[in-house]
Amino acid sequence: MATTTNYGWTTPDDTALVKDGAAAIRTLGSSVDTTTKNLNPSTTLGDIEYRSSTANTNTRLGIGSTGQVLTVAGGVPSWATSSSGGMTLLSTTTLTGANVTISSISQDYQSLHILITGVTNATSDGALRVRPDASTNNGSTGQVLGTNYHQFGNISLSFEQNMLRTSANNAFALDIFNYASTTTYKPFTFSGFYESSGPTDQYVIGGGGTSEISAIDSLFLFHGGGNFSTGTVRIYGVK
Amino acid sequence: MTKPMIRIHNTQTDEVIDREMTAAEFKIYEKDQAALAAEKAEAEAKAIAKAAILARIGLTADELKTILG
Repeated sequence: MATTTNYGWTTPDDTALVKDGAAAIRTLGSSVDTTTKNLNPSTTLGDIEYRSSTANTNTRLGIGSTGQVLTVAGGVPSWATSSSGGMTLLSTTTLTGANVTISSISQDYQSLHILITGVTNATSDGALRVRPDASTNNGSTGQVLGTNYHQFGNISLSFEQNMLRTSANNAFALDIFNYASTTTYKPFTFSGFYESSGPTDQYVIGGGGTSEISAIDSLFLFHGGGNFSTGTVRIYGVK
Repeated sequence: MTKPMIRIHNTQTDEVIDREMTAAEFKIYEKDQAALAAEKAEAEAKAIAKAAILARIGLTADELKTILG
Protein backbone atom coordinates (compact mmCIF):
# COMPACT_ATOMS: atom_id res chain seq x y z
CA MET A 1 0.00 0.00 0.00
CA ALA A 2 1.33 3.45 -0.94
CA THR A 3 1.83 6.08 1.78
CA THR A 4 2.52 9.83 1.84
CA THR A 5 6.07 11.03 2.41
CA ASN A 6 5.76 13.05 5.62
CA TYR A 7 2.93 11.58 7.65
CA GLY A 8 2.63 8.11 6.16
CA TRP A 9 -1.04 8.41 5.27
CA THR A 10 -2.28 5.43 3.26
CA THR A 11 -3.28 6.14 -0.34
CA PRO A 12 -4.58 3.78 -3.07
CA ASP A 13 -2.02 1.98 -5.20
CA ASP A 14 -2.07 2.65 -8.94
CA THR A 15 -3.51 -0.82 -9.40
CA ALA A 16 -6.24 -0.41 -6.79
CA LEU A 17 -9.80 -0.90 -7.93
CA VAL A 18 -12.10 2.06 -8.47
CA LYS A 19 -14.81 0.29 -6.48
CA ASP A 20 -12.58 0.57 -3.40
CA GLY A 21 -12.19 4.38 -3.84
CA ALA A 22 -14.71 5.41 -1.20
CA ALA A 23 -13.03 3.32 1.49
CA ALA A 24 -9.59 4.59 0.42
CA ILE A 25 -10.73 8.24 0.64
CA ARG A 26 -12.34 7.56 4.02
CA THR A 27 -9.12 5.99 5.35
CA LEU A 28 -7.01 8.87 4.04
CA GLY A 29 -9.40 11.49 5.43
CA SER A 30 -9.44 9.81 8.79
CA SER A 31 -5.63 9.77 8.90
CA VAL A 32 -5.46 13.47 7.95
CA ASP A 33 -8.00 14.29 10.66
CA THR A 34 -6.06 12.38 13.33
CA THR A 35 -2.75 13.94 12.37
CA THR A 36 -4.20 17.45 12.25
CA LYS A 37 -5.71 17.04 15.70
CA ASN A 38 -2.42 15.67 17.06
CA LEU A 39 -0.61 18.74 15.69
CA ASN A 40 -3.25 21.16 16.91
CA PRO A 41 -4.63 19.99 20.26
CA SER A 42 -5.92 23.49 21.22
CA THR A 43 -9.31 23.62 22.85
CA THR A 44 -9.44 27.01 24.51
CA LEU A 45 -8.74 30.67 23.79
CA GLY A 46 -5.06 31.43 24.38
CA ASP A 47 -3.85 27.83 24.09
CA ILE A 48 -0.49 27.25 22.47
CA GLU A 49 1.17 24.01 21.38
CA TYR A 50 4.69 22.68 21.57
CA ARG A 51 6.25 19.51 20.24
CA SER A 52 6.03 16.54 22.57
CA SER A 53 8.47 13.65 22.79
CA THR A 54 6.24 11.76 20.34
CA ALA A 55 6.74 12.58 16.65
CA ASN A 56 3.89 14.49 15.00
CA THR A 57 2.10 14.94 18.31
CA ASN A 58 2.05 18.33 20.02
CA THR A 59 1.20 19.07 23.62
CA ARG A 60 -1.40 21.69 24.51
CA LEU A 61 -0.35 24.44 26.94
CA GLY A 62 -3.27 26.42 28.37
CA ILE A 63 -2.95 30.19 28.74
CA GLY A 64 -1.27 31.44 31.94
CA SER A 65 -2.71 34.02 34.28
CA THR A 66 -2.28 37.81 34.02
CA GLY A 67 1.31 38.91 34.52
CA GLN A 68 2.81 35.47 34.00
CA VAL A 69 5.60 34.96 31.50
CA LEU A 70 6.54 32.04 29.28
CA THR A 71 9.51 30.19 30.68
CA VAL A 72 11.11 26.75 30.54
CA ALA A 73 10.83 24.10 33.24
CA GLY A 74 11.88 20.49 32.85
CA GLY A 75 12.81 21.07 29.24
CA VAL A 76 9.36 22.21 28.12
CA PRO A 77 7.61 25.60 28.02
CA SER A 78 5.39 26.68 30.89
CA TRP A 79 3.82 29.83 32.30
CA ALA A 80 5.30 31.24 35.51
CA THR A 81 5.11 34.37 37.61
CA SER A 82 7.81 36.83 36.64
CA SER A 83 10.68 37.00 39.08
CA SER A 84 12.11 40.19 37.67
CA GLY A 85 12.82 43.12 39.95
CA GLY A 86 10.92 46.30 40.50
CA MET A 87 9.71 48.65 43.19
CA THR A 88 6.18 49.06 44.47
CA LEU A 89 5.07 52.08 46.48
CA LEU A 90 3.60 50.60 49.67
CA SER A 91 2.75 53.76 51.58
CA THR A 92 3.09 57.52 51.83
CA THR A 93 3.00 58.95 55.35
CA THR A 94 3.02 62.55 56.53
CA LEU A 95 5.07 63.13 59.68
CA THR A 96 3.35 64.85 62.60
CA GLY A 97 3.27 64.63 66.37
CA ALA A 98 5.90 63.32 68.78
CA ASN A 99 6.44 60.15 66.80
CA VAL A 100 5.01 58.22 63.87
CA THR A 101 4.52 54.49 63.54
CA ILE A 102 4.14 53.02 60.07
CA SER A 103 2.63 49.60 60.66
CA SER A 104 1.55 46.40 58.87
CA ILE A 105 4.27 46.67 56.24
CA SER A 106 3.84 43.97 53.59
CA GLN A 107 6.19 41.01 54.03
CA ASP A 108 6.11 40.10 50.32
CA TYR A 109 9.33 41.79 49.19
CA GLN A 110 13.08 41.24 49.39
CA SER A 111 13.94 44.63 50.82
CA LEU A 112 12.46 47.99 51.78
CA HIS A 113 13.52 51.25 50.15
CA ILE A 114 12.50 54.20 52.32
CA LEU A 115 12.61 57.84 51.24
CA ILE A 116 12.26 60.52 53.90
CA THR A 117 12.05 64.15 52.81
CA GLY A 118 11.25 67.64 54.06
CA VAL A 119 11.50 66.96 57.78
CA THR A 120 11.05 69.96 60.10
CA ASN A 121 10.42 70.19 63.80
CA ALA A 122 8.04 72.33 65.83
CA THR A 123 10.27 72.83 68.84
CA SER A 124 14.01 72.57 68.36
CA ASP A 125 16.87 71.13 66.34
CA GLY A 126 17.43 67.42 66.72
CA ALA A 127 18.50 64.15 65.21
CA LEU A 128 16.11 62.15 63.02
CA ARG A 129 15.79 58.51 64.01
CA VAL A 130 14.12 55.41 62.68
CA ARG A 131 13.49 52.42 64.86
CA PRO A 132 12.81 49.20 62.97
CA ASP A 133 9.89 47.37 64.43
CA ALA A 134 7.94 50.05 66.13
CA SER A 135 7.44 51.21 69.59
CA THR A 136 9.39 48.80 71.71
CA ASN A 137 12.88 49.79 72.63
CA ASN A 138 14.19 46.27 72.22
CA GLY A 139 16.83 45.14 69.81
CA SER A 140 19.76 47.14 68.64
CA THR A 141 21.31 48.56 65.55
CA GLY A 142 24.82 49.59 64.84
CA GLN A 143 26.02 52.00 62.23
CA VAL A 144 29.32 53.18 60.96
CA LEU A 145 30.70 56.28 59.33
CA GLY A 146 34.43 56.27 59.55
CA THR A 147 34.27 55.21 63.16
CA ASN A 148 31.74 53.13 65.05
CA TYR A 149 28.65 55.00 66.02
CA HIS A 150 26.19 52.84 67.82
CA GLN A 151 22.55 53.56 68.49
CA PHE A 152 20.66 51.17 70.65
CA GLY A 153 17.57 50.12 68.73
CA ASN A 154 17.66 53.09 66.34
CA ILE A 155 19.01 54.12 62.98
CA SER A 156 20.12 57.70 63.37
CA LEU A 157 19.94 59.20 59.90
CA SER A 158 21.74 62.39 60.92
CA PHE A 159 24.18 60.61 63.25
CA GLU A 160 24.85 62.68 66.37
CA GLN A 161 24.25 65.90 64.46
CA ASN A 162 21.12 67.95 65.05
CA MET A 163 19.10 68.91 62.01
CA LEU A 164 18.10 72.57 61.73
CA ARG A 165 14.48 72.38 62.82
CA THR A 166 13.13 75.01 60.40
CA SER A 167 14.86 73.72 57.27
CA ALA A 168 12.93 71.35 55.03
CA ASN A 169 16.02 71.00 52.84
CA ASN A 170 16.68 67.41 53.71
CA ALA A 171 16.30 64.02 52.12
CA PHE A 172 17.30 60.54 53.22
CA ALA A 173 17.23 57.15 51.53
CA LEU A 174 17.27 54.08 53.74
CA ASP A 175 17.40 50.50 52.49
CA ILE A 176 16.69 47.59 54.83
CA PHE A 177 17.57 44.24 53.34
CA ASN A 178 16.00 40.86 54.07
CA TYR A 179 13.54 42.67 56.33
CA ALA A 180 10.91 39.91 56.23
CA SER A 181 13.25 37.19 57.44
CA THR A 182 12.43 35.61 60.78
CA THR A 183 15.78 33.86 61.08
CA THR A 184 18.52 36.35 60.24
CA TYR A 185 19.73 39.84 61.15
CA LYS A 186 18.98 42.70 58.76
CA PRO A 187 21.66 44.86 57.19
CA PHE A 188 20.83 48.40 56.17
CA THR A 189 22.42 51.28 54.30
CA PHE A 190 21.45 54.92 54.11
CA SER A 191 22.52 58.22 52.66
CA GLY A 192 21.22 61.74 52.88
CA PHE A 193 21.56 65.47 53.02
CA TYR A 194 20.39 67.96 55.64
CA GLU A 195 21.19 71.32 57.16
CA SER A 196 22.52 71.50 60.68
CA SER A 197 22.53 74.56 62.92
CA GLY A 198 24.53 77.27 61.30
CA PRO A 199 23.08 76.43 58.85
CA THR A 200 25.73 74.12 57.45
CA ASP A 201 25.16 71.56 54.73
CA GLN A 202 25.72 68.02 55.96
CA TYR A 203 26.06 64.89 53.86
CA VAL A 204 25.79 61.47 55.40
CA ILE A 205 26.33 57.94 54.31
CA GLY A 206 26.21 55.00 56.64
CA GLY A 207 25.10 51.50 57.28
CA GLY A 208 24.93 48.77 59.79
CA GLY A 209 22.59 46.07 60.87
CA THR A 210 19.95 45.15 63.37
CA SER A 211 20.63 42.38 65.82
CA GLU A 212 17.01 41.28 65.81
CA ILE A 213 15.89 38.20 63.91
CA SER A 214 12.16 38.90 64.00
CA ALA A 215 10.67 40.26 60.77
CA ILE A 216 10.36 44.02 60.46
CA ASP A 217 6.72 44.91 59.85
CA SER A 218 6.72 48.45 61.19
CA LEU A 219 8.90 51.53 61.43
CA PHE A 220 8.90 54.03 64.26
CA LEU A 221 10.17 57.54 63.48
CA PHE A 222 11.00 60.22 65.98
CA HIS A 223 12.96 63.43 66.20
CA GLY A 224 15.26 64.58 68.96
CA GLY A 225 13.84 68.08 68.77
CA GLY A 226 10.30 67.13 69.71
CA ASN A 227 7.18 67.17 67.56
CA PHE A 228 7.42 66.82 63.79
CA SER A 229 6.07 69.81 61.84
CA THR A 230 6.43 68.43 58.33
CA GLY A 231 7.98 65.51 56.53
CA THR A 232 7.04 62.71 54.20
CA VAL A 233 7.97 59.04 54.31
CA ARG A 234 7.56 56.85 51.24
CA ILE A 235 8.10 53.13 51.61
CA TYR A 236 8.76 50.99 48.56
CA GLY A 237 8.85 47.21 48.46
CA VAL A 238 11.66 45.88 46.28
CA LYS A 239 11.45 42.44 44.66
CA MET B 1 -1.84 65.63 82.18
CA THR B 2 -2.07 65.76 78.40
CA LYS B 3 0.37 63.43 76.72
CA PRO B 4 2.04 64.12 73.35
CA MET B 5 0.19 63.22 70.17
CA ILE B 6 1.43 60.44 67.90
CA ARG B 7 0.47 59.16 64.45
CA ILE B 8 -0.03 55.54 63.43
CA HIS B 9 -0.34 54.71 59.73
CA ASN B 10 -1.50 51.20 58.84
CA THR B 11 -0.09 50.52 55.37
CA GLN B 12 -2.48 47.63 54.69
CA THR B 13 -5.69 49.61 55.30
CA ASP B 14 -4.18 53.08 54.76
CA GLU B 15 -5.88 54.10 58.00
CA VAL B 16 -4.20 57.00 59.82
CA ILE B 17 -4.84 57.47 63.51
CA ASP B 18 -3.71 60.55 65.44
CA ARG B 19 -4.05 60.11 69.18
CA GLU B 20 -2.44 60.77 72.53
CA MET B 21 0.26 58.39 73.72
CA THR B 22 -0.74 55.63 76.05
CA ALA B 23 0.98 55.40 79.42
CA ALA B 24 3.26 52.65 78.11
CA GLU B 25 4.17 54.66 75.00
CA PHE B 26 4.80 57.72 77.16
CA LYS B 27 7.30 55.75 79.25
CA ILE B 28 9.23 54.83 76.09
CA TYR B 29 8.99 58.42 74.90
CA GLU B 30 10.45 59.69 78.17
CA LYS B 31 13.23 57.13 77.95
CA ASP B 32 13.99 58.27 74.38
CA GLN B 33 14.00 61.91 75.41
CA ALA B 34 16.34 61.19 78.31
CA ALA B 35 18.70 59.32 75.98
CA LEU B 36 18.60 62.17 73.49
CA ALA B 37 19.28 64.74 76.21
CA ALA B 38 22.23 62.69 77.45
CA GLU B 39 23.62 62.44 73.92
CA LYS B 40 23.18 66.16 73.41
CA ALA B 41 24.96 66.93 76.68
CA GLU B 42 27.79 64.59 75.73
CA ALA B 43 28.14 66.21 72.31
CA GLU B 44 28.18 69.67 73.86
CA ALA B 45 30.78 68.60 76.41
CA LYS B 46 32.92 67.20 73.60
CA ALA B 47 32.59 70.45 71.64
CA ILE B 48 33.61 72.50 74.68
CA ALA B 49 36.60 70.24 75.33
CA LYS B 50 37.60 70.47 71.68
CA ALA B 51 37.36 74.26 71.71
CA ALA B 52 39.47 74.40 74.88
CA ILE B 53 42.22 72.31 73.30
CA LEU B 54 42.21 74.44 70.17
CA ALA B 55 42.42 77.60 72.27
CA ARG B 56 45.33 76.15 74.21
CA ILE B 57 47.33 75.37 71.08
CA GLY B 58 46.27 78.57 69.37
CA LEU B 59 44.47 77.10 66.35
CA THR B 60 41.01 77.65 64.92
CA ALA B 61 38.82 74.71 63.89
CA ASP B 62 39.34 75.62 60.22
CA GLU B 63 43.11 75.70 60.64
CA LEU B 64 43.01 72.29 62.26
CA LYS B 65 40.91 70.96 59.36
CA THR B 66 43.51 72.29 56.94
CA ILE B 67 46.28 70.49 58.82
CA LEU B 68 44.35 67.24 59.02
CA GLY B 69 43.07 67.46 55.45
